[in-house]
Amino acid sequence: MELARRFFLQQVARVTAGAALVPLSTVANAGINDQPPRRGGDPKKRYAMLIDLRRCIGCQACTVSCHIENQAPLGKFRTIVSQYEVESLESGNAVQFMLPRLCNHCDNPPCVPVCPVQATYQQEDGIVLVDSDRCVGCAYCVQACPYDARFINDRTQTADKCTFCAHRLEAGLLPACVESCVGGARIIGDLNDPGSQISKMVEEYRGELMVLQPEKNTVPHVFYLGMDERFIDRPSAAPELWEIRDGEGQELGYEYAEH
Amino acid sequence: MTAKGRNWGTNMQSIELVAPRYGIAWYPWAVQYFFLIGLSYASLWLVIPGAILGREKWKPAARLALLGAVSTAIVAPVSLLADLHQPLRFWHFYAYPTPSSWMSLGSIFLPLYVGAVIFLAWLIWRDPLKARAGAGGLQGLIARGIPLGQWKTPRWLVVVVGVVAVVLSFSVMVYTGAEVAILKARPLWHTEYLPAIFLLTGVIGAAGLAVVINRFSGMRHPLAGDQMLTIILVATVLAGLVAAGWLAQGLAINDGSVAAALESVRDNAGWRRAAYWGVAAGILLFLGAGLMEVMGSLRGTRWILGLLALAVAWMFRWTVLMDVQTIAKHTAGFNDYTLSLGSQGLLGIVGTFGLWLAVVVVVNLFVPWRAAYGGRDGADTLSATKGEPSYG
Repeated sequence: MELARRFFLQQVARVTAGAALVPLSTVANAGINDQPPRRGGDPKKRYAMLIDLRRCIGCQACTVSCHIENQAPLGKFRTIVSQYEVESLESGNAVQFMLPRLCNHCDNPPCVPVCPVQATYQQEDGIVLVDSDRCVGCAYCVQACPYDARFINDRTQTADKCTFCAHRLEAGLLPACVESCVGGARIIGDLNDPGSQISKMVEEYRGELMVLQPEKNTVPHVFYLGMDERFIDRPSAAPELWEIRDGEGQELGYEYAEH
Repeated sequence: MTAKGRNWGTNMQSIELVAPRYGIAWYPWAVQYFFLIGLSYASLWLVIPGAILGREKWKPAARLALLGAVSTAIVAPVSLLADLHQPLRFWHFYAYPTPSSWMSLGSIFLPLYVGAVIFLAWLIWRDPLKARAGAGGLQGLIARGIPLGQWKTPRWLVVVVGVVAVVLSFSVMVYTGAEVAILKARPLWHTEYLPAIFLLTGVIGAAGLAVVINRFSGMRHPLAGDQMLTIILVATVLAGLVAAGWLAQGLAINDGSVAAALESVRDNAGWRRAAYWGVAAGILLFLGAGLMEVMGSLRGTRWILGLLALAVAWMFRWTVLMDVQTIAKHTAGFNDYTLSLGSQGLLGIVGTFGLWLAVVVVVNLFVPWRAAYGGRDGADTLSATKGEPSYG
């Protein structure tokens, strides 16, 4: 009896595994908001980034090099360093806090299941990508990302985001932001390789690493070292940058607005 | 400095120096879609008692509501398509069905729903169309061709198609609400109360639309007007209760959407205005409908209340879909949004309403919709509007 049951279960497992190759079966298996199956990429790897904020000076070299490498439209950014001035309650001094931001390549990315055509997908190596030939530009993923990591590219009229420079990783190069970082604050690597620098640092600083908005259960894979936990959620800061307005109370446009 | 990070104490005094400006990703087209589709499914529900259950007293209201349901169902998908940045790729929805996405499910529900509503209207309108077969010109041509034969529409077929359409309308109601409410990234959307208010403001708007059509089509059926008035009153009370429940539960368990709303109202003058406006409009709607229920002499101005009901349904969607997008997600403050004049702004809004008006005018011209289920075709007998003086 027990044997028969085991045999039956084996068969079911086999049938189910085989059925996974048939696209229609995914329709029956996947529930609403479940992650669709990952596709492409190296299944042995899990790319992640560690940002050592102790080394970040807010020079925006990453922002600029990403812009040059990935040709994002002006005013839209795949990565940027948010900068804050915080009054220290201990010393009373104003101190600066830098927060480099990019796609978190989450393990439970909220942008992926919402995509109505699976143009946004996650590779086996954890990198979240957009197939711009398939994307319909509905911007549902832009709404679903809690980190503002996505935008609609005005030129392609499709969703755009950080790819961890997957095209450079494939060629054995580092992402543009990592390569240009003057302080060496950004470390990218394979978490599945225990010998990689990122694996070693994750091991060394296990109790100190933080991710952004962990309560959303997105399981981000960009880890911050030296992070102030008051910045892991939307900061309660005054947006001084936007206080300068024209005579009619409208925001002044970017200086390149006419370009 | 330690690896554990800086420690500045508990009260943050902080200024954001550098952050990008994040624009909105869904345009007013989305508001138009949610408005029109909400009117459509709720209008269809107002058709049920008269057309599907066959209640004599509700037949005039069903005539009005059917016109509302069909016209909005035709225009709504157009504005939805326009909100795509790549509208010509809409076929990708069907080439790559994605069961994990509410939007993908919606792409299946929506055309089925629109098809069912049009089919239902055809079944109901073909009998009065046949009666007009003798008319000359294009009207006669359409009256002879569209009914596809002289057979009488069987009652059972209307009931079956009606029930199918109503079931599909529920799928549209559920998907439009869930699509927005599942998004954790925007705390103000991420509440199960949101679909409920979408539904109730949809009913308020649909009843308002029926009142407005009642007035401006010259049908001026007093009973239908009264019934719609009662529906506006009941739906307004229910919407108020749901909103109160949302607030009370949110304050009790510190729900994210309520916290985000209170924060926005506290920090932003525009949000304070929106909150005052919403409460004022709700109270005005309640008092107006209530007063008209009590004082019969006021009922000639029902259409003003109808317009207010439509405004409430539209403004709610504008606040939810547009204003919420201006709340920064992971940066400080609020993003500026100014309505552009082009097709992604004002022109899109005016254009959608213009298209809706065109659909109503065309239907009104060629379909004797007032004569459905044994009604009198007011368009053919001018005396229908002579009974009451016109107040414009």
